[in-house]
Amino acid sequence: MKIPKKLSWFIIGVAALIGILFSLSMVGIEPRDLLETTFMAMTPLILAAVGECLDEKAGVVNIGLEGIFLITAVTGVYWAEIVGDGVGGLIIGGAIMGGLIGLFFGIISTYGKAAQVVAGMGLNVFGLGFVPFLMVALWAFPGIHMFDPKLVIRTIDIPVGGGLFRLSPITIFAIIVVIVVDIILYRTLLGLRIQAAGEKPEAIDVAGVNVNHIRILASTICGALTGIGGAFMPLGWFGGLVKEITAGRGFIALAAVVFAGLDPILAAVSSFIFGFSEGLAFTVMITPGVKEVVPHYFIKMIPYIATIVALAIVGSKRFPKALGKPYIRE
Amino acid sequence: MNGVERAFKIFGKEGDEKKFRGFRKMRGPPPEKGEILIKAENVVKGFPGVWEHLILDHINFDVRAGEVHALLGENGAGKTVLANILSGFYVITSGQIYVRGKPVKFNSPRDALEHGIAMVHQEFTLVPTLTVAENIALGLKEYSSLSFPLKEVERKLAELSERYGLKVNPKAKVEDLSAGERQRAEIMKVLYWEPDVLILDEPTSMLTPHEADELFKVLRGMAAENKGVVFITHRIEEVMKVADRVTVLRLGKFMGTKSIKETTKEELLKLMIGEVEPFRPIRKPVKSEKPVLEVIDLHVVGREGVEAVRGVTFTVREGEIFGIAGVAGNGQRELVEALTGLRKVKSGKIMIMGKDVTNKSPRELAKLGVRHIPEDRRGIGVAEPMTFGENIMMRDYCSPPFSKNGIIDYDFVTRHAKELIKKFEILTPDIWNTEVRILSGGNIQRLILARELWVEPKLLIAFHPTYGLDMRALTHTHKLFMRLREKGSAILLVSEDLEEIMSLSDRIAVMFRGKFMGILDASKATVEEIGMMMAGIKPKEASA
Repeated sequence: MKIPKKLSWFIIGVAALIGILFSLSMVGIEPRDLLETTFMAMTPLILAAVGECLDEKAGVVNIGLEGIFLITAVTGVYWAEIVGDGVGGLIIGGAIMGGLIGLFFGIISTYGKAAQVVAGMGLNVFGLGFVPFLMVALWAFPGIHMFDPKLVIRTIDIPVGGGLFRLSPITIFAIIVVIVVDIILYRTLLGLRIQAAGEKPEAIDVAGVNVNHIRILASTICGALTGIGGAFMPLGWFGGLVKEITAGRGFIALAAVVFAGLDPILAAVSSFIFGFSEGLAFTVMITPGVKEVVPHYFIKMIPYIATIVALAIVGSKRFPKALGKPYIRE
Repeated sequence: MNGVERAFKIFGKEGDEKKFRGFRKMRGPPPEKGEILIKAENVVKGFPGVWEHLILDHINFDVRAGEVHALLGENGAGKTVLANILSGFYVITSGQIYVRGKPVKFNSPRDALEHGIAMVHQEFTLVPTLTVAENIALGLKEYSSLSFPLKEVERKLAELSERYGLKVNPKAKVEDLSAGERQRAEIMKVLYWEPDVLILDEPTSMLTPHEADELFKVLRGMAAENKGVVFITHRIEEVMKVADRVTVLRLGKFMGTKSIKETTKEELLKLMIGEVEPFRPIRKPVKSEKPVLEVIDLHVVGREGVEAVRGVTFTVREGEIFGIAGVAGNGQRELVEALTGLRKVKSGKIMIMGKDVTNKSPRELAKLGVRHIPEDRRGIGVAEPMTFGENIMMRDYCSPPFSKNGIIDYDFVTRHAKELIKKFEILTPDIWNTEVRILSGGNIQRLILARELWVEPKLLIAFHPTYGLDMRALTHTHKLFMRLREKGSAILLVSEDLEEIMSLSDRIAVMFRGKFMGILDASKATVEEIGMMMAGIKPKEASA
């Protein structure tokens, strides 16, 4: 039942996309450029959104994705410079650093019984303040840091229609992560326990499964995935680092999670939609003939307007009952 | 476990029996009939800092193989606490528990399960968004957490289903099940562990009489397999029906263990509640003809968009108790919701004291002197995460003497709450530091009664007002209702408890599929007549 329905939506979506791309190409926007940027922009969103889906399914709401993005963008570059390799930086400064933040967040919101929304907000504000400081501390230059272009993760170049379509391997990794998380969540005992931890923690407590451990595990995975997304932005996409590199993408990822109602596949789809709106903004800004007509300030608003519109139309979704509540056995 | 085995568990083929390590093997041979499975000696349990008195005061209890052992007592007698101790949820303060002769100490429910003791809780512990089989699978630790042994679970469930006559669809989502089906699923979940002792906490409270009888059959079947069944209840009839032995608790004290063959209902009642006169109200006829509540051809649309109340007309007069009987789900809930302003009326008219109040808000109704005892006490009766004090003033907080000029007079509320605690005999550790959710169901019901009935209402709408109350509180409440009636309050009483309806009401309406089957004079009505009307059969001389 489930798969054919999803598949039919997928086909409708692809058809709609082709239609949109075709009509955009009429005004001179190159579909290849547009998709290329879409996939780039989508990657950090997917990673964070899928991690957050897993986290919220387990009952932990981490709204500090933006904070993790910010911090891991800097640590990712730092470690890439130390290791001398972009992927290395992504793993150490992104995955491990993000995982540690997630672990910490998981511990304070289970054993620490913290108010998770407040803690998450704290993480965002901390990231915002700490990152400029960290950049000065590491590179003695405020707000911006250019690194060796050799550290940028190499893309896979596919020749398409007389040009090259540049696809980052991390994008492929992100899509694999979506599938793996979906399988874990719905087709393994661990996934059932994760769902139970968010919905009815007593149920797994009775069976002798530690609710807090499950939640901390989910929070750590969420942190690690978000961390990869954060480090990807300078190392795999922009090729440079500025202190506002994330531009609110952590919040857009959160919106994607809400939009998807915690379903990893849907979260990926909504990440694609948000990524597409960002890609559209980029391509419009560089396309001659279009950029003169449409003011770029307006174009830059597209992803955020898309977010608000998406959240407004999606309405209420069902969220886990125990979401955001520390589990206390009575 | 070596790597090969682990790999097998992850990618394992279906039907590999070796994978399932039965709990039976861990615990030795199955018990013989009459063997003492659990023995609890001088168990003491207190919650220091929350409750001053001991919740369990030197309790002795034992369960033998092949028996149904009832644990009888009123609310707050400590039945559930004892069960939670035996099943590893609570740690005892002092005393000793033996399982099959060996002293044990449980640190978690898992410990108890591994010793063969399983408990079915009163509140459901299944994850509503998962299927029955998934709910059971998530607790299986013998499998790798990355495996998905759903097929095997479903197969074993089918086996258990057959063996005990418990019908549950393993592939059904729990949230789609009825209360009875959920209960069966809960039982299946613990049976999966092949327990020697099964403890059921008030299993019949959510069931229809027919479902309860089916459950009793299942329990007898388990006893016949030399399992020990502990059955917690406050209903003596159920004890007489299903149990072999019964242990009675009263206010945390051990009152004795009896064999059913050697005891009587009267003796058990005495042990359970002490000496209490049963309440037989003597009523004078209704004096006034003045209508308080008038309902004219009321139509209300229910939760699923179906019309639940389909044309109801009646009047409740001053000093009258008007009972509405009927099987749950025949529109009573929607009727009450419409009368209390919680649900929009589709068509028709509601008048209170001659004023049209159709589709007025609950606040406006309250101002007219309407008080409401709701059916769903934990859901809408109280705000569970708020304190006792906050809940007790929830109806009146915005009017003097509770508040003046928009500022709450906490001194008054504290005094008021203390008074009500005494008057309504509510057990609460404290007023301003206690969240209502920790109180037992009976005490929450008392809180609601106290909050709604400390003044004489013009109109009281009471839905299951005595649900979950013990004998004493029930009698108390009935007396209070009669007193309010004497003083001229109009009372609309909706209840599934026929005895309650018959003994209190002046007139009785029977509701069936959203309509009244008829309105009877309570002094002339018989149980048979009402029973037939509840089933939708119209007696000849019923007058509307």
